[in-house]
Amino acid sequence: MLKGHLDLIVLAALAAGPAHGYAVIEEIRRRSRDAFDLPEGTIYPALHRLEAAGLLAGRWVTADTGRRRRVYTLTRRGERALAERRAVWQQFSDAIGGLLAAAQPSRKPA
Amino acid sequence: MIAAYLQALSDALGFDRALAQRVRQEVEDHLCEAVTADPASDRRAAEQRAIANFGDPHALAAQFAMVALAKQSRRVAMAVVAVVAAVFLLMKARLAWYGVMQWPIGDDMRALSETVLAIDRYAFWLAVVVGTGAWVYLGAGFATWQAAHCRRLRRFVLLGGAATAALAVSVIGDGVLTALRLSDIDFSARFALPLLSMAIEIAGAAFLAVQICRTARRVSATAALLDA
Repeated sequence: MLKGHLDLIVLAALAAGPAHGYAVIEEIRRRSRDAFDLPEGTIYPALHRLEAAGLLAGRWVTADTGRRRRVYTLTRRGERALAERRAVWQQFSDAIGGLLAAAQPSRKPA
Repeated sequence: MIAAYLQALSDALGFDRALAQRVRQEVEDHLCEAVTADPASDRRAAEQRAIANFGDPHALAAQFAMVALAKQSRRVAMAVVAVVAAVFLLMKARLAWYGVMQWPIGDDMRALSETVLAIDRYAFWLAVVVGTGAWVYLGAGFATWQAAHCRRLRRFVLLGGAATAALAVSVIGDGVLTALRLSDIDFSARFALPLLSMAIEIAGAAFLAVQICRTARRVSATAALLDA
């Protein structure tokens, strides 16, 4: 279930601003209040895929530690994709919410 | 411990050095960050945890390889269409040049040239149809890294290879027709356009052949990673 929404999750995490892979994972944890305990490695192929699709732009920087680090930024196309996916998710969420609310058993006094 | 993990990841991606290097640097940065952020004072335990949280290196290598392969396949698909279009334009330019120069094919070569021209035409249109088909086939549905997608890329390579082979036959036909047409004419600077256009066609077909072979090797390597 979560895997199917990985792109949306990663795009949403990067909406706050440019970040490297580790920071993206931390942002996902923080904003989901640790609800999403993804295997950390799965984020990186997703970042590569979104970059290949033109939704993210990556650039190498040198961190304070001296290590090379790839920082990802949402592109305009990525921002549009995020907005579209967010709207689809909202619609889906509203529909399920409505369905579940209607399915609540009514307790009438005998 | 981290070094051994990174080495396993790099080795699994050994068929693509640039990708292996990029992945290694990114993952190294991640693991070092995770170890630094780990509150445990035991570094070895922190490294173990960071690696365990990151996942199996072979499974991850397969995912990275699929992403890179999909990207490469898309580039190759566009290259097939671009080279076929370029060959078409060069053929037309050459024919226009022959018209301007008034260089008809000699009567003694006419029968042979008509046979070659027929082969050339059929091969070229076959390249157009199969090359476009390969491009469309690849374009429809693109985002997974499962074995099914790898099979799809394998079929794309077959289509791309067939289009390239047909294009190579067409280019050879173009070469023969050019030779037949120029054989009776004294060499001069006016040969520059037909010779240059032929050189570009040959280079284009050779480029496609190399790209298709490279993609085929990567498909095999990625499929092996997915099967492992």
